[in-house]
Amino acid sequence: MSNGKITIDGQVLDIVPGKTVIQIANDAGIGVQHYCYHPGLSIAGNCRICQVEVEGWDRPQISCKLQPSDGMVVHTQSEFAKDAREGTMEMLLVNHPLDCPICDQAGECHLQDYSYEVGQGAASSPTAKTNLPKNVPFGSKIVYDAERCIKCTLCVRFCEEVTETNELAMAGRSDHEIVIMTSQGEFETPYSMNIIDLCPVGALTSRDFRFKSRLWFMDFAESVCTGCARGCNVMTGGRDGSFLRMEPRENQAVNKWWMCDAGRLGYKAANVASRLEAPLVRNADGALVQVNWERAISAAGAALKGAPGDVLIDGGATLEEMALANDLAAAMGGKAKYAAATGEGDDFLVVAEKGANAAGAELLGLPRAKKASAASVVIVERGQHITASMRDKSGAVVVFAMDGEHVPDSAQVVFPLPSSAERNGLLVNCDGIVQAISSNTAIGPNNLADPIELIEDILGELDDGYDWRGRDGVLASIRALPAFAKVDFPAGYEAAGVGAGS
Amino acid sequence: MAAKKSASKKSASKKSSPKRGDDGRYPETKILSALFDVKDGWKLAVAKKHGAYKNLEKALKSMSPAEVIDEVKTSRVRGRGGAGFPTGVKWSFVPTETDKPKYLVLNADESEPGTFKDRWLMELDPHLVLEGCLLCAYATGVSTIYIYVRGEYPLSQERLWGAIHEARKAGLLGDKIMGTDFSCEAYVHTGAGAYICGEETGMLESLEGKRGHPRIKPPFPAVEGAFGCPTVINNVETLAHVPSIIEHGGQWFADMGIAPDPDNPRALGSSGTKLMGLSGDIKTPGCWEFEFGITVRELIEQYGGGALEGRTIKAVIPGGLSMPVLTADELDVPMGFDALVKVGSGLGTGTAIVMDDACDMVEACENIAHFFADESCGQCTPCREGCHWMEKIFTRIKAGDGTPADLDLLERLFINIEGRTICALADAAVWPLRSILRKFRHEFLAKMPGHTDPHEKDPHAEDPKASSEPAAVGAN
Repeated sequence: MSNGKITIDGQVLDIVPGKTVIQIANDAGIGVQHYCYHPGLSIAGNCRICQVEVEGWDRPQISCKLQPSDGMVVHTQSEFAKDAREGTMEMLLVNHPLDCPICDQAGECHLQDYSYEVGQGAASSPTAKTNLPKNVPFGSKIVYDAERCIKCTLCVRFCEEVTETNELAMAGRSDHEIVIMTSQGEFETPYSMNIIDLCPVGALTSRDFRFKSRLWFMDFAESVCTGCARGCNVMTGGRDGSFLRMEPRENQAVNKWWMCDAGRLGYKAANVASRLEAPLVRNADGALVQVNWERAISAAGAALKGAPGDVLIDGGATLEEMALANDLAAAMGGKAKYAAATGEGDDFLVVAEKGANAAGAELLGLPRAKKASAASVVIVERGQHITASMRDKSGAVVVFAMDGEHVPDSAQVVFPLPSSAERNGLLVNCDGIVQAISSNTAIGPNNLADPIELIEDILGELDDGYDWRGRDGVLASIRALPAFAKVDFPAGYEAAGVGAGS
Repeated sequence: MAAKKSASKKSASKKSSPKRGDDGRYPETKILSALFDVKDGWKLAVAKKHGAYKNLEKALKSMSPAEVIDEVKTSRVRGRGGAGFPTGVKWSFVPTETDKPKYLVLNADESEPGTFKDRWLMELDPHLVLEGCLLCAYATGVSTIYIYVRGEYPLSQERLWGAIHEARKAGLLGDKIMGTDFSCEAYVHTGAGAYICGEETGMLESLEGKRGHPRIKPPFPAVEGAFGCPTVINNVETLAHVPSIIEHGGQWFADMGIAPDPDNPRALGSSGTKLMGLSGDIKTPGCWEFEFGITVRELIEQYGGGALEGRTIKAVIPGGLSMPVLTADELDVPMGFDALVKVGSGLGTGTAIVMDDACDMVEACENIAHFFADESCGQCTPCREGCHWMEKIFTRIKAGDGTPADLDLLERLFINIEGRTICALADAAVWPLRSILRKFRHEFLAKMPGHTDPHEKDPHAEDPKASSEPAAVGAN
């Protein structure tokens, strides 16, 4: 049944019950500027930048609140609409400090973007700006600048409506209005840093990220947080080998728009000073020395050949890595098992299962290692799943690790492991959703080998008849398993022709 | 009570407005203000002697709620808080079929500058106010009344609480009022001194214990008001009219004042009486009750005592601060809803502020802009940033640092502020400022020596859209 039609910028569009004009326009690819509107929060209607012209109405209307009606004709780009938005921009900037050169938001600031689109070139008034508090700590992780703030109240509404913890409120009136914390100290919610992403300007900045890098010098990649089995979708940001920040990426089926603070700050494991950057082999003196990849691979083959043994793999490893670990264990006449920590969960995103791919391991039929046991090969990512005691008691001779601190004394051959932000592969989250992590080339040491290739090379050392399959081949064999018959794989992997039929 | 006194006037008031006396004096009509001069009229015993609550009894015992609404509709009484919305129509928006509780919130946050009429009612005849509330509650199915009183009105709060306690003791409030099935409670809630909490949805937020940020509409309060439930919101003076409407019938009320204009569907008339007040540069400021029809000039000269010695009146803002200004030449207009709109202003709260020739209009603008900049709740960008910006510009002009370009900038700001916000505070800020700037432009230019007006004729003076639709922000 039709709910009627609305015309926006000449496009005739269906009216969808429950959707306001801005949503219908955005769905149709007609971007309407907005600050205070967010699809995950209530409509505040205070910023006034989404004003549009409605034919027959003498005042501009805010499209975020505007209910469409059959036959309504809306213009977002008419002179009238643009004048209204330009007038709003002028108001927003009249007391704004315009300190973009020292503002972390520069480059991803809606105030900058819209100013470029509809702002004026020159200031119209030599009016002194209103001064407001700057550098105000909001807990230990967030810094607030009231002069940059455009009072859109997204952060306040987030704490009211999403976390329901009410740490923030508006205070003061007129152009002296500011955001305040309702009590001293820390946020009660472990999701507080989402307000940094919500903030359309540079009013809320991350104490962790501020002044680290200009955005345009950074590279970004779409990936998944491996802090717990929720697998919140993220955007990784790095520069010159350093992992600088992680931000949530919208996925309505998994994390909506949000992620927890602990997951967000979990990126630091990739930046530790003891990060392994090259393969190591233990020499006759008992010291681990750097060698080239070929020597390390043949040393690993030699160390593992003829000695039956198990493979212990990290619960955050990818499906492909786990499948190959299974093959490697089979080649050694042993078993592959995975280890994953459990901890606290909450009723929002964080789950008690911390192994980002524990569900994938279960689908592959890997048993879960509950306590320390012997293993010839240990693949350890961040060290929280395969604990120090598990590593030390394994007696492993071949070790894949990110951090040199995680290498047990028994190791004869050590391969440096790229972090989850530097690898490609698939993870299965707590709800059975298969998601891809992808490599951000600006993060981590240069020229680290893909563990998939390394494990296949070691398999080649152990088995003269081994047929190298590559990532696609490994994935195809995973998809051929009965346990994966009904599992949906991410669209990109389908499009690449990976899996079924190959 | 109030109406009892006026009963003798009933037959005489069939005409559209009362006759001026032989001396040309416009007569007072004391209906709401009948007890203002009675000693201890605020006490139940005295008020009852003058007829208090007998109209409530009449309604409860002989009329259905729908009949009460019909009488109020017939009376064509319009809201006295500033917007002038027909009260009976507003009541009929409240859903009858709902499982939620319904509320009446009486807007007694009389914070519009220059307005003090509701205070008189609350202090001098609180039982009339309470009876009006109960009649409204009965008509709309409300079981809880909140009276939101301005924090700066301690005596009003005291008198209303006193009236509530007296009425409860006398069985006029609480369970099974006067032995009928109608039960209703009333409470006084005190504001904390914010102008914006007189805006009806800002008031609801404040009542709920939140910051007084006006709500974005829809939903309207009649459907989703206090605590998410259907809510009637009326001004004190509006509801104080209801007892006499019930006593004499809606038609009696409709016959007073100024009739609607049959040719203009928006001119809904100004029926009944109105408490009108005067403050500013006049000899005898005060508050009087008239049938609609008295002109601004009559009000000033006959009741306000005219201009101070040796001075002449320059301008009048007819209804609280937030209405466009009238010049001394424009004062022969009746104090009525439609008549004042016709001349580009508005009745607002019906309490005028008079400015004489000693008043510097630039300073007046700075003062007005300062008020609105200070009282802007900070929610919407244009009002939050614009009001203080305007104030800064007026300050600059006053200091002699302005240029004619500032006047153009102000005109542009008026456009970008008016009608671009959630509530009408922004409109209320623009209307007086724009009208003063246009009507007294020469005073602004006089502070810009060395500059000539680039516009020979004010290009906006003929703009028919300007200030054509004043609505209200203050108490509603």
